[in-house]
Amino acid sequence: MIEARGLVRTFPGRGGLLGRDPVRALRGVDFTIPDRGAVSFIGESGCGKTTLGRILCGLEDFDGGELIIDGRPLSRLRARQREPYFRRIQMIHQDPYSALNPTHTIERILGAPLALRARQRGENDGWIRRRRAELLELVGLDPGYALPRYPHMLSGGMRQRVVIARALTVDPEVLVADEAVSMIDVSLRLGILRLLRDLRERLDVSVLFITHDVATARYLGPGGELYVIYRGQVVEHGRTDTVIGGPVHPYTQCLLAAIPVLRGIEEPGPQRPAPLGALDERAEPPGCLFEPRCPFAAPDCRSKRPALGHLGGTAQEHACLYPERRAVVPVPAG
Amino acid sequence: MARLAPAVTLPATPNAGVPAAVRVRDLTVAFATADGELPAVSHVSLDLPPGRITGLLGESGSGKSTLALALLNATPGRVTSGSVEIDGVGDVLALPAAGLRRVRGAEIGYVFQASQNSLNPLKPVGKQLLDLGRSHGERDLRGLLGRARALLEDMGLDSARVLACYQHELSGGMRQRVGIVFALVLNAHVLILDEPTTALDMLSQAAVLQIIRDVHAARHLTTLVISHDVGVIGELADRVAVMYAGRIVEEAPTGALLAGPRHPYTRALLSALPRIAGDPELARPLPGRPPDLITIPRAGCVFRERCPLAMPVCASAEPASAGPAAATGPGGRRVACHAVPGERP
Repeated sequence: MIEARGLVRTFPGRGGLLGRDPVRALRGVDFTIPDRGAVSFIGESGCGKTTLGRILCGLEDFDGGELIIDGRPLSRLRARQREPYFRRIQMIHQDPYSALNPTHTIERILGAPLALRARQRGENDGWIRRRRAELLELVGLDPGYALPRYPHMLSGGMRQRVVIARALTVDPEVLVADEAVSMIDVSLRLGILRLLRDLRERLDVSVLFITHDVATARYLGPGGELYVIYRGQVVEHGRTDTVIGGPVHPYTQCLLAAIPVLRGIEEPGPQRPAPLGALDERAEPPGCLFEPRCPFAAPDCRSKRPALGHLGGTAQEHACLYPERRAVVPVPAG
Repeated sequence: MARLAPAVTLPATPNAGVPAAVRVRDLTVAFATADGELPAVSHVSLDLPPGRITGLLGESGSGKSTLALALLNATPGRVTSGSVEIDGVGDVLALPAAGLRRVRGAEIGYVFQASQNSLNPLKPVGKQLLDLGRSHGERDLRGLLGRARALLEDMGLDSARVLACYQHELSGGMRQRVGIVFALVLNAHVLILDEPTTALDMLSQAAVLQIIRDVHAARHLTTLVISHDVGVIGELADRVAVMYAGRIVEEAPTGALLAGPRHPYTRALLSALPRIAGDPELARPLPGRPPDLITIPRAGCVFRERCPLAMPVCASAEPASAGPAAATGPGGRRVACHAVPGERP
């Protein structure tokens, strides 16, 4: 289990003689990734979701709050001491075209991390060969076909499966999938989502799913949780079905209303709110962070910044002074 | 007595205000490969009805971008058959180089895939617009900048600021809008957009889709939107042509196609789609992988290896692509499949 408490990440502002205001990528984020869980983070570009994934994989440091992996708080550990914890969390990159070395065969791409693993465990070359075939079969690839091939000889979907197999070589507990299907052909996306769902069941791994495409978060299997993040702050959190079925925060509602409607089989929700204007990262509103763009803002939203809670007795947590369910999601036609 | 001012002669925009139709007939574009010359687009016929938005839906390697580039006579492959007729222009594929230069920009505006990254990083947007004007022999550069400003303001942008900006100072959504300005600033009446929203998040995507709808309607354009994203096509297009392995396998009005897809590929694609509504458990992954130039079956139906309805005839005979596109009419549909009866003229 992984827990984040009040996680903060601030980047120094760039340029300008006097420097600019720092960019607050994460402003105190709490979340839990339960064992075998499926936790999704959604939000627009620049909301902090990628920073969050990078921190979890140890690719980025945090400068406030605490990250607790298997009961161990990491903030007091040195970089070297943190390594074994971060090894349990593996990243699946967005772009399967650049995540694999084009000059290596799949055999070598999987063989290198497995050789290290074998040395740690005192296993021989036979174990590497068996494990390599096992992992490829687990991700739905035929070892006889895939092993001798170079990445460019495989489709995007197959490459993403190789990336997942490589992440599995170190027996991780968590897979961090940052936009892992957005570059995959539409007809192959469902296959990758199903694979992540199956891995939860078969290997007891949990999945941290980072996406701007909310619909894909519904395909990770039962018990999924959804966090909606805006400017480094969680604005709504609950069970995936609850949040998508009845969002109460206006930002979540804008995100869901922006999903294209498949005419003929879907109808737009009765309400289709859109944010007022684009995200201005330089502005630091004193009240609610979303107030300047909120289509439903009230006067005191400008002065009060709501904290995450169940105000109004909602099933999900949210950070809005005036939570209201609005029917914004496209519905099946007829 | 004051004399009447002489009638103003408008610059060469022959059908200003009247949308132009585009007719693609029997188009084949082939590429040289180690296995010889192979077609990426094979005997495709397609109408872009005037004033309408046509969607071209296909996965990577389906030939959709090759087809779209052929409308500009700019494909890197070799056109081995066919014609592209545009009202008021003639066959684009038969034009000499000078005529082609005028047609690109003045008649057809093209927003390239990844146009977010296709601006010159070393020059502000305004300077690049002037370059565009000069390279097209535009004498009234001030007028050109005026048109660009008007377009930018219509899209809800601060035009003075955008023209002074370098590429890196603009967000993805803003760059996409600048791409549309470049495509339309020479008064094109046919607009082609290749994957207009890739790499944009949902909110920027919704904004860009709205802009495309508005610009299309306000300027009486004939528009072609190319995408792998069923949602983008579903939001924008009046009609959809589904492309697979260099063929148009199905074409129909958008609502009819999404509600009742007939080609086995369209059916499988739609049921493999992650959607925000409906039961996720009902989705079915599409087996196999989309073919590329080398792996496209050379005889018979190009989809047969992934098709649940494949019959012996599918291995030997390519299903007729329902004749010329014109025969379908505006509300009509066509399907290229041996297992789907009817619809063939």
